[in-house]
Formats: sequence, structure tokens, C-alpha cells
Amino acid sequence: MKKKSNFFAIIMHITILLLIAPLLILVVWSFSRSWSWPYLLPQEFGLRGIMHVLHPSSRALKNLLFSIRLSMIVTIITLIISIPAAKALGVYNFKGKGFFKVLVLAPIIVPPVAVAMGIHLTFIRLGIANTFIGVVLVHLIPCLPYGIRILTNVFEIVGESMEQQAKVLGANPIQIFLHITLPLIAPGLISAGSLVFIVSFSQYFLTFLIGGGRIITFPMMMFPYIQSGDRMMASSYSLVFILATLVVLVIMEKAIKSYYGTKNYFYL
Amino acid sequence: MKKLFVLLIVAILTMNLFGCSQTTEASGEDLLEESWESILQEAEGTEVSFYGWGGSQRTNDWIDNFLAVRLKEEYNITLNRVPMNIDEVLNKLLGEKQMNVMGTTDVVWINGENFYTAKTNDLLFGPFTHKLPNFNQYIDADSVEVKYDFGFPVEGYEAPYGKAQFVMVYDEARVEAIPQNHKELMELVKNNPGQFTYPAPPDFTGSAFIRNIIYDIVGYEQFVNMEADKEAIAKEIQPAMDYLKELKPYLWRRGETYPATIAQLHNMYADKEVFMTMGYNPNEAAGKIATGEFPETTNTFVFENGTIGNTHFLAIPENAPNKAGALAVIDFILTVEAQASKYDPNTWGDLPVLDNARLNAEEREVFSNIQIGKGALPQDVLLEHRVPEMPANLVPIIEEIWMENIL
Repeated sequence: MKKKSNFFAIIMHITILLLIAPLLILVVWSFSRSWSWPYLLPQEFGLRGIMHVLHPSSRALKNLLFSIRLSMIVTIITLIISIPAAKALGVYNFKGKGFFKVLVLAPIIVPPVAVAMGIHLTFIRLGIANTFIGVVLVHLIPCLPYGIRILTNVFEIVGESMEQQAKVLGANPIQIFLHITLPLIAPGLISAGSLVFIVSFSQYFLTFLIGGGRIITFPMMMFPYIQSGDRMMASSYSLVFILATLVVLVIMEKAIKSYYGTKNYFYL
Repeated sequence: MKKLFVLLIVAILTMNLFGCSQTTEASGEDLLEESWESILQEAEGTEVSFYGWGGSQRTNDWIDNFLAVRLKEEYNITLNRVPMNIDEVLNKLLGEKQMNVMGTTDVVWINGENFYTAKTNDLLFGPFTHKLPNFNQYIDADSVEVKYDFGFPVEGYEAPYGKAQFVMVYDEARVEAIPQNHKELMELVKNNPGQFTYPAPPDFTGSAFIRNIIYDIVGYEQFVNMEADKEAIAKEIQPAMDYLKELKPYLWRRGETYPATIAQLHNMYADKEVFMTMGYNPNEAAGKIATGEFPETTNTFVFENGTIGNTHFLAIPENAPNKAGALAVIDFILTVEAQASKYDPNTWGDLPVLDNARLNAEEREVFSNIQIGKGALPQDVLLEHRVPEMPANLVPIIEEIWMENIL
């Protein structure tokens, strides 16, 4: 028995190491002027990458804050749309439910790139290309499947019995939603919100096409450096990208948990 | 009732899609009739969106820290740099043209095949260069490099921005003698197998290396007016293909694979996996020494018969929202001050486009006072060893022949 748990501990530590090591290399590269064969560690360190990201003239931090705001708005709208849709799919029985469950995943199955050009033309007609609203709308496309699918599973577990109980006791629909449904699905909201935020935050192509250069997000500044192979710049940007995502996710989780005083009923 | 309501909403939404397409009035033509003073007046205090490749920190910093700052002081223009690859810009412009709407791009950094695509699809505004005072004063409008872009007539639809030239980059610590021509390169590579390679086309720099080898072996004059006929080209460049085939087994990993991009080759060079790299910007190596990416012992050279040079340009899209601002920005880039600052290896290190003969003594001194960086060749050496690019439509054919014969 003892031996077996040791074995699993080793596997676990190796797995964690494999996940963390690439991130560590990113940190080292952010500060390495040169790191050539045959040296195990960089011979020269520098701050060029980080200084560029932090310097106001590069507008990197300004765009980072803008990106976070954009993705937060996308996340909130996605959740607002996802909750009723997920409840319908998770709780109610209706004709063609299985079909709709698959249909919801369509934006992931069909790559957005394939339909993006058409969307762009439509958005130009509607006058929302190159605008903030246009970018928010187009971000909803890859985000909604994640939001709806995760919350569908949550509703399947939670069911409707609690809400019916409240209804029997005379609560109105708004009271039921605020005091019964939301606290019940709060842990699911955290996971769905986190994933949706990440999906929106890392969108590159769709933002590019619909934003038309008017809307500049953080990944749009990061990608050219990754493409051109400037490893110090690319690593510095990636590092800031990862840290920003982590901070936002932790804040989001803390906020929702403290508001609803949720304990971990289940974690998805 | 409910159904009717849903139907109504669907109908309204669909109407929207087919209905209102905004069209824009073509204000551009009148602009070129106006005097330069009134154009400047119109440009004052506006915002100009500058679209171009954003993969070089030094280029980005020059635009952000010099160009944007000086434009603000001079004309109160806010420069908005948008890092976007040129094919994405073209796609966007094509889409916008199809819908006939106002765009968001005021100035676009362009050349070669992309200019050819843009101009043949009527995406560009112009001819405008004759309106720019600095163009008229400093640029030799009759020189081949201003008149033609990869063999395609410019006709005033783009203004020169800077000059680039192909150079070979090597590590002095590991390469004893620099090869003067393709024969010496072959010898060097055979003596040091696995230490040299080039990016596979369609990488821009790898493609330029192959054209350079072709020039070095069969000369370049016959290509200037050559038809884009694959068989004729294949016959003409056969000796160069034979050369590359002979070279292949001595390349990095025996030529079984090639780096896909110049960025990969640069990183391989920085990691000391190979002893040479190459570039289409003669000061790039100096810049990379300064940032510490390349070793201190890095230097550049050109073949004795010359290397390919080209000019990169700035154009204004037909549907640009702020053409007056765009004209003011492009004119400012053609000042001695801007070109000299751009040439300074401490900022960007891009070769100037101004005609030396048109500069007065004082202005010439501004340029000669700039210390070129370590690892860069002086401007006169480069200009003496400079041969023009091939017509743009031959380039993809040569890349195709390379893929069929060598890869």
C-alpha cells in the first residue's frame, strides 16, 4: 500500500514538473540577453523585454488593462446568455434536446476562421466593424459554447427541486433566481467564467479582423514578437499575459465566493 | 402573438443585413487639388492610423518614441501604430472595398508583391507623391529604386520609406575567411558541414538568398524584362539549382530540413547551432548585437558581385479616413531629421532614401556624423554592391522551382 502511494506521488510530482518547467523557461528567457549552446544557463541577463512592456510609450500596459476590461464584459454577457440556455438544456425536457446540445458546440467544431470573413462583411454592413461592440459580439461566438456546456452540467446536477420548493413557499421568480439559483450554481459560474475569460482574453484573429486595428488588445501586440522570433520580447509579453490572467481569475473566484459564501459543493 | 413577434424580430434583423450599406464619398480627388498649406491645416490635430509589420522592437520603438512624438510637436497629429501583417491589411482593404465603405487605415507600410496586389485591385489612393514638398526636394524621382518596386511601376502611388539590402551575417570567431562569391561559399560550407543553412522559401529572406545565388551565378540583367514563363525561367536558373543541389548535403542536418522562417535561423545562429545567418536589413545584425541576441563577434558581408537591394514604401489606401493626415505624416518621414534618426543604429538603423546629390553640405553632415553600429557595413559599401530586385511576378515562380527541385 505504502509503495503504491509513493508511486503515485512520484507520478504526480513529475507531472507538475512537466507543467511548471516550460513556464520557468519563459521566466528565464524574459531576462536573458543571450542563452547559447553549450551553456546550461544564460550568460547575460537584461531588462530590455520587461522595460519595453512596462514603458508607457509602448502602450502595452494600457492595452493590457483594455483587454482585461473587454474580456470581463464578454464574460459577463456570456454568462447572462448561458444561464437560461444552460437551464433549459440541463433541466427541461423538450424535443430535439440532444440536437441543440450538439448545436451549441458548433462554434468550436466549425473553426471561427471559416466564418469570420462573412461575419466581417456583415458587421461592415451593420456599421459595427472596427467598434468595441463588434469585437464583444464576435468574442461571444467562441465563448458561448464553453459557458453553456459547463453550466448545463451544473444545472443537470442541481436540478430544479430547490427552485420548486421556493415557489411552493411563495417566492417570486426574481427572488428564486437571486436567492436560490445563483448561489447554487456559483461554483459553476466560477469555472465557466474563468474559462470564458481565458478564451476571450487570448483571441487574436477575430479581434484583428473585426477590430480592424481600432481595437488593439494585448495578444495583438504579443503575436508579432512571437512570429519574428524575438524570444526575450515574446517571453516578456507572455509572462505578463499569464500573470494578468492569473490575477484576474483569482480575484474573480474570491469575489464570487465571498459574495455567496459558497463552500465547495462540487468543483468542475 | 408570440410567434408573430419572433417573426417580426427575425425579419428586422435580416433586413438589416441586406439593407443599409453605408457608402463613402470620394473626398480624395479634391484633396490633391488643394494647396499643401491647406492640406497641413486639415491634418492639424487629427489622428493617423499607421498599419505595418510589428515584429521588430527597434522599428516599433522608433515609430512610438520618435515619429509619434515629433508628429505631435510639429502638427499636433496623434499617430496610432497598428501592428498588423501586410496580408491581413490587404484582406481587410479588399473586404472593405467590396462593401465600398470607409476604412480605418491611413498609412500602410508596403512593397513588392503586396503593392502589386494593392495597386492592381485599385486599393490605393494617388498618385500623391508629387504633392509632398519633401519628396520633390529630396527624392530622385527618376531613380530606378523610386520609380519601380520589384519591377512594377510605382507611378506615384507610394512614397519611399527606407532601403533594405541583403547581407550575409557571420560569426568572426568561427568563420576564418568570408566568401566573396558563390564558389567560395560552397568551399566554406563543404569544409564545415552542418554549419550553414538558409530559410526555405516562401520565407522572404530565404527566397532573397536564392535569388542572390542565381544573380551570382547567371547574372541579373536578363531577368529585368523577363516574361513570367516558368519553363524559360527554369532553363535560365538551372545552373543555380544545380549549385544548390550540390550544396544541400553539406547544410545543417544534411539539408533534409530547412528552417521555416528567418526568425528560426536567427535563433539558431544566436544559439551557435550554425555559424552564419542572413538578413534583408543590413543593420539588423548590428541591432541584434546591441540587444545582446547575437554574439559580439558578429559581422556582415556582401558578395563582390553585389547583393539584392529593395526599397520599402508607404502608401495611402483609397478608403483612408484621414488622407490629409496621412500625407503630412509621409512628408514628415521624408525630412532629413526623420531619415537621419531612422538611419541611426541606436534607434532603427534603416537606410535612408534621400538622394545624396540633393542634400546640402550641412544635411550631408548630419548623415555622415551618424556612427554606424558594430557589425554593419557603411552605406557607400552597400550602395556599391547593390543590384535591383527581380520583377515581383517572377519571385513565386522561382520559389516553386526551388520546391520542386531542391526540397
